[in-house]
Amino acid sequence: MRYRYAMNFPRCTQLAIAGLVGVLAILPAGAAGPLKTLRYIFPAAETGFDPAVARDLYTGHVTQAIFETLYSYDYLARPVLLVPHAASGLPEVSNDGKTYTIRLKKGQYFTPDPAFKGKRRELTMADYVYSWKRLFDPKLASPHSWLFEGKVVGLDQLAADAKKTGKFDYDKAVAGLELVDPYTLRIHLTQTDFNLGMILAHEPTVALAREVVEKYGDINGAVHGNPVGTGHYKLGQWVRGNRIVLEKNTEHHAEVWDFKGNGTPDDQRIIAQMKGKTIPQIDRIDIRVMVEDQSRWLSFQSGGVDLFWLDGPLAPKAILNGKLRPELAAKGVQLSRQIDPEITYYYWNMQDPVVGGFSKEKIALRRAIAMAHNVDEEISIVWNGQAQRVDYPIPPGVVGHDPAYRSILQYDPALANKLLDRFGYKKGKDGWRTLPDGKPLVISYTSRNEASGVLMAEVWRKTYNALGIRMENKRMIFSDLLQAEKLCKVQSRNYQWMADYPDGDNFMQLHYGPNVNQNNAACFADPEVDKLYAQSQKMPAGPERDVLYHRIARRIEVTGAARMAYSRFRNMLAQPAVLGYTKHPILHQEWAYIDIDPSK
Amino acid sequence: MFAYILRRLWQMLPTMAGVVLLVFLLFNWVGGDPAYILAGKMANADEIENIRRQLGTDQPYYVQLWIFIKQIVTFDFGNAWSTGEAVSSIISSRLGPSLTVLIPLTILETFFGIALALAIAFVRGSLTDRGVMIACTVGMSISILVYIIVFQYFFAYKMGLFPVQGWGDGFAENLLRYATLPILIGLAVSIAPTLRLYRSFVLDEVNQDYVRTARAKGLGERRIMWVHVLRNAAIPIITHVMANLPALLIGAFLLERFFGIPGIGREVILAVERSDFPVIKAITVYVAAATMIFNLLTDLLYQAVDPRVQLK
Repeated sequence: MRYRYAMNFPRCTQLAIAGLVGVLAILPAGAAGPLKTLRYIFPAAETGFDPAVARDLYTGHVTQAIFETLYSYDYLARPVLLVPHAASGLPEVSNDGKTYTIRLKKGQYFTPDPAFKGKRRELTMADYVYSWKRLFDPKLASPHSWLFEGKVVGLDQLAADAKKTGKFDYDKAVAGLELVDPYTLRIHLTQTDFNLGMILAHEPTVALAREVVEKYGDINGAVHGNPVGTGHYKLGQWVRGNRIVLEKNTEHHAEVWDFKGNGTPDDQRIIAQMKGKTIPQIDRIDIRVMVEDQSRWLSFQSGGVDLFWLDGPLAPKAILNGKLRPELAAKGVQLSRQIDPEITYYYWNMQDPVVGGFSKEKIALRRAIAMAHNVDEEISIVWNGQAQRVDYPIPPGVVGHDPAYRSILQYDPALANKLLDRFGYKKGKDGWRTLPDGKPLVISYTSRNEASGVLMAEVWRKTYNALGIRMENKRMIFSDLLQAEKLCKVQSRNYQWMADYPDGDNFMQLHYGPNVNQNNAACFADPEVDKLYAQSQKMPAGPERDVLYHRIARRIEVTGAARMAYSRFRNMLAQPAVLGYTKHPILHQEWAYIDIDPSK
Repeated sequence: MFAYILRRLWQMLPTMAGVVLLVFLLFNWVGGDPAYILAGKMANADEIENIRRQLGTDQPYYVQLWIFIKQIVTFDFGNAWSTGEAVSSIISSRLGPSLTVLIPLTILETFFGIALALAIAFVRGSLTDRGVMIACTVGMSISILVYIIVFQYFFAYKMGLFPVQGWGDGFAENLLRYATLPILIGLAVSIAPTLRLYRSFVLDEVNQDYVRTARAKGLGERRIMWVHVLRNAAIPIITHVMANLPALLIGAFLLERFFGIPGIGREVILAVERSDFPVIKAITVYVAAATMIFNLLTDLLYQAVDPRVQLK
C-alpha cells in the first residue's frame, strides 16, 4: 500500500503528535465531535466470521475489515496493483518462483481480548503459519484449502497425517513454512508459482491468534462469533442475519491516505477529498441485512443508507444508458460503475453422450448452438443490460485480459443452421432436428430454481427453437446443481466464476483437464489445452504467458466446449456525504479508504 | 380431566413420529446435499466426503434418523450447518422479534374481528353488510405482497410515518417504532377473512331459539349480542385463534424479510435456502409439538367457556 507511517516522521513531529493526542485525551468527550458512521447494506445474510470457513461474499466484507492479509491492493491503481498490507514489502521471489521471503511490519497488535489475558498481543509470522495450517485441518473442513493445496512443501502431508491419526498437529513444523524470525517467513513451494502474492491477498489467508481459536473455537475449531484481528475495524455488535456494527480499531497502526491513482478525473476528485487523512476516517460501519429489493432501494432513497450495491433488478431505477439518472445526479448521488472480475460462459458437457466428445459432428453441434445464441439479448432480458459481452476467457480488470481478442463464435443463427444441416442434423416433418443417426435430439439446459434461472432458460429455449432443437429445462436447487455438475451430469448451463485473485490463471484453470470433477464444469479434458496450461503455470504474467492463453482460448472455441458470454457490471451508489469513494475491483469493501461528511 | 389430558398427550407420540419421519424423508429426498455448498467452489471429492463426515450425512439413513430422534428427546439439535450457531440460540433469539409483531397482531385481529363481526351482525342483510362483505372479498383477493409493497412505499417512504425497515435494541422501540407498520399490514391482510369468518359464527347464533327467548324476556340487543350470542359464538372463535397460535412460531416471513425483522420466519427461509437441516428439523418439530399442545389447550378452553362441553 502506498502510505507513510507515523513512526517514520521526524522525532520532533512524533513528539508534537503525542502531545496533541495527550491534550485531546483530557478534553471532555463531547469535544471530539460526532462519530462518523457509514450505513451499509448486505442483500443476503452473513454466516460467521471465521475466515477459514466463511465462503460467502458478505461475510468476506466483514472478515476483510477485521483481519489482515499479508498483501492487499492499491485502492486506486488500475489495473489492480498488489501492495503490502501486514507485510512490510512485496515478497522477495526466487528466480524459479519456488521460494518466497516475506517480512512482516513490526508493532502490529491484535485487538484486546480476554484470550490474551490482559497482555498486548503482537502479530507475528507464526500467526500466519498457524492460520494457514488451519485451512488443512480435516475437522475444520475449510473450503479454502485449495489456496495452498499441493503448493507448500510438507503442508499436505500434515493433513494426510491428521487423517490417519485423527488429530491435526499444529505444533509440527512444516518444511515449506520456514520461520526465519518472528517477522520473517520463507515459503518453499513444490512448484513454480508466481501468483502466491495474490493468493496471500485473499482473505482466507488472514492471521488469527491461536489463543483466540483455542478459547472460542467450536467443536470443529471454528470461531464464528469472536473475530479478533489486527485490521482497521473490530466487531462491535452482531445480531445474526440482521445487523453488524464494526467499530474503528484504535490499536491499528497509523497510516496516512496517499494513493496516487491513474490521473483520471475521478481519481483527482478522490485524491482531493482524501489525501493526507489518517486511515480509517470512519468510526463505525453499521451494516443491515436487507434481502428485499424494494426495502433496500427505499432505504437508500430515504437517506437511511450511505453506500449501496445496486444489483440486477434495481439497476434501471438508477441507471439510464450506463449513467446515473439525472434526478439522482441532481441530488448529488454518486455512481461508481465497473465490470466485476467475473465471467459467465456457456458450456456443454464434454462427457455427455449427446453433446460431448471430440467427433466432428459433436463439435459442429456445440459450435452451432454457441453461434445461435444472442448474448446481447440475454444481457438485456436477464440482467437489465447490466453486463458486457466478452470474447476472452479472462474478464476485464484481470491480469491477462485481452480486449482486442475476438472469438470465432459470433452470433450468426443462419450459419449455425447451415452447420447443423451439413453435419447431418436433419429436420423432420415436425420441424425438429434429429441426431445424424436419426435418433431424437433433445438437449437439456439446467438452471437454478429462481427467477433469473427461469429467464435464462427462456432465452435459451428461443435459441434452440431457432435451430430446430428440442430443449428441456431442468431447474435445480443450488446444492443439487453443484453436485450434478461436479459429477459431470449437467448437459449444459450458464456457468459463472468470480475471481479469487485477479490473475488469468484463476480463470484458465477452469478449462484444465485435471480439474474435472472440481471446477472444470464442462468436464473438458483436452491434451493440448492441458499441456498449454501446465506450461503457463510456470510463467509469470506477461506476453509469453499471454501467447499460451490465446491458444487455450482458441482451442476452447474450436472444440466448442464453451462460449464466453459476459461479465456483469457492479454499480455502487453513494450518498453525497460519502467522500473518496470508488469501487475496487477486488476488495469486497473500501470502508477504510473513504470518509463521510456528517454535515451533509 | 387428568386422564383425558394424559390420553391426549399419549396420542401425540404417534403423530410426532409421523412428523419426524416425514421431515426426515422430505429432507433426504428433496433437500439437496449441503456438503456441495459448504465445500466451496474448488472442492474435490475427498473434501466433500470429509464435510459429509463432519455433518454426519455419510452415515446410513437409520443412524441419521436415530440421531434425529435423540435430538428431539434431549432438545439439543446441535449447531446450524451453515453458520455454526447453536440451533437453540437461533430459536431463542429469533422468536422474540417474531412475537413482538405477531402477538399484538393476533390480539388486534381477534379484537377487531369480533367487534366488527358483531357490529355487522347488527345490520345483517343491509346495504352496509353487503358493502362490507364485498370489501372483504376484494381485500382477500389481494396478495399480501401488494399490501406490503404499497404500504411500505406510501406510509413509510412517501409519507415518512414509519421507518422503511429496521429493528432496534429495545422492546418498546421495536414495538412502537419498527413493528407498527408490519402489524398494521398484517391487520389489513387478516381482518377481511377474520371478519367474514366471525360474522358467520355470529349469524349462526342469532337465529337460535335462545336469542328469541332473550328478546321475548325483553333484553336489549346489545346485551343479547355481547353476552348471549358472543358466548356461544366463542367456541369456534377460540378454535380459530388457537389453531393459528402455533403459526406464531414460524413467524410472518414476508413481513420479516421486507422490514428487516430478525425473526424466526426469515430464519426458516434462510435455512431452507442453505439446506440447513438442523434448523429446519428443529423448527418443524417445535411447530408440530406446539400445534398438538395448542389443540389440547383449545379443547380444555371449550369446557371453561361452555360448561356443557364434556371432555371424555
